[in-house]
Amino acid sequence: MKLEITLQESYSRGQLLLRAFFGWLYIAIPHLFLLFFVGIWSSILAFVTFWVVLFTGEFPGSIFEFQVKYLNWSLRVSAVLSNLVDGYPAFGISGTGETVSLQVDKPEKVSRGLVILRVLFGSIYVGIPHGFCLLFRLIGGFVLMFLAWWAVLFTGKYPERWHAYNVGTFRWSTRINLYLGYFTDQYPAFSGKE
Amino acid sequence: MSESETKLPQPDELSKREKEDAMGAYFMMFAVWGIGLPLPVLNLVAAVIYYFINKKNSRFTAFHSLQSLLSQIPVTAVNFFLVVWLIKILVAEPAFPDAFFIYLIFMVFANVIYIVFSVIALTRARKGQFYYMPFFGRVAFNRFYGPKAAPLQKPVEPNRPPEGL
Repeated sequence: MKLEITLQESYSRGQLLLRAFFGWLYIAIPHLFLLFFVGIWSSILAFVTFWVVLFTGEFPGSIFEFQVKYLNWSLRVSAVLSNLVDGYPAFGISGTGETVSLQVDKPEKVSRGLVILRVLFGSIYVGIPHGFCLLFRLIGGFVLMFLAWWAVLFTGKYPERWHAYNVGTFRWSTRINLYLGYFTDQYPAFSGKE
Repeated sequence: MSESETKLPQPDELSKREKEDAMGAYFMMFAVWGIGLPLPVLNLVAAVIYYFINKKNSRFTAFHSLQSLLSQIPVTAVNFFLVVWLIKILVAEPAFPDAFFIYLIFMVFANVIYIVFSVIALTRARKGQFYYMPFFGRVAFNRFYGPKAAPLQKPVEPNRPPEGL
């Protein structure tokens, strides 16, 4: 899995203010409205994937591509709304972004035993330990996001380490999603690093 | 139509992707479980979406998607009627009538038959084979392999300037 959210050389103060006051209106509502319906389809396909993987041990190619594109779209929107990148996120499953990209390699085989384990005990051995760590990381992330907003407003630059920290949080939670969604059999690392 | 008139793809000529997509069509019967809502119509909606997404990709996938969609219609109708009846009884009637239980047995029977046919069809689809359900198989086959089968992709109309310019 490779998630990259570009640290821009400079950030637009105008866009920052526009997002802060009207971001919910011109970014969040139109995108989340569509993502809601695509999300329903995604959850149907996730359920289908469970059965397909259980019986065949393989992740269906077209569903894999759809789910990765859906994750890409969600990440594009999240990255813009959390001020990690400027610009307007591309609409649609087929949309691409220059500043946000998620690449996931399709596994040749998926362990059937792990699929059952994840469904039955995923919340215990993945959700609880990772959720506990991510909770504190998210609190730190929100503080940095708030501070970064002011930093961008006054300097036009997003502090590099704060950016890396917040991108790391996205990376961490994406790894958990990928593991619980059968995209990989590799247990997610307790880290936001590459 | 004779066999010589219809050139059907053989299992080794189909890509793995086509086989997987064809198999996926029959899993739409579980869509309602994926969403977690007791509305049988959602299975049908999922099957319609799946059909329209995949019908342009390959005739083999399109055939199985349409067969899955068509075979869901009667089962969805049966299930939906039961849900409506159940709600009506819970809201307005003091007890469950005997007819309800008879219908319930009929519904279970219909669903079991449907699931058995679907499992056979999805297994065959994964192997790259055709499987024809009673009635629906013939309709789906005619739509994509019959004499009046339309091309998968409609020709794109070229852009033109306004008339008179």
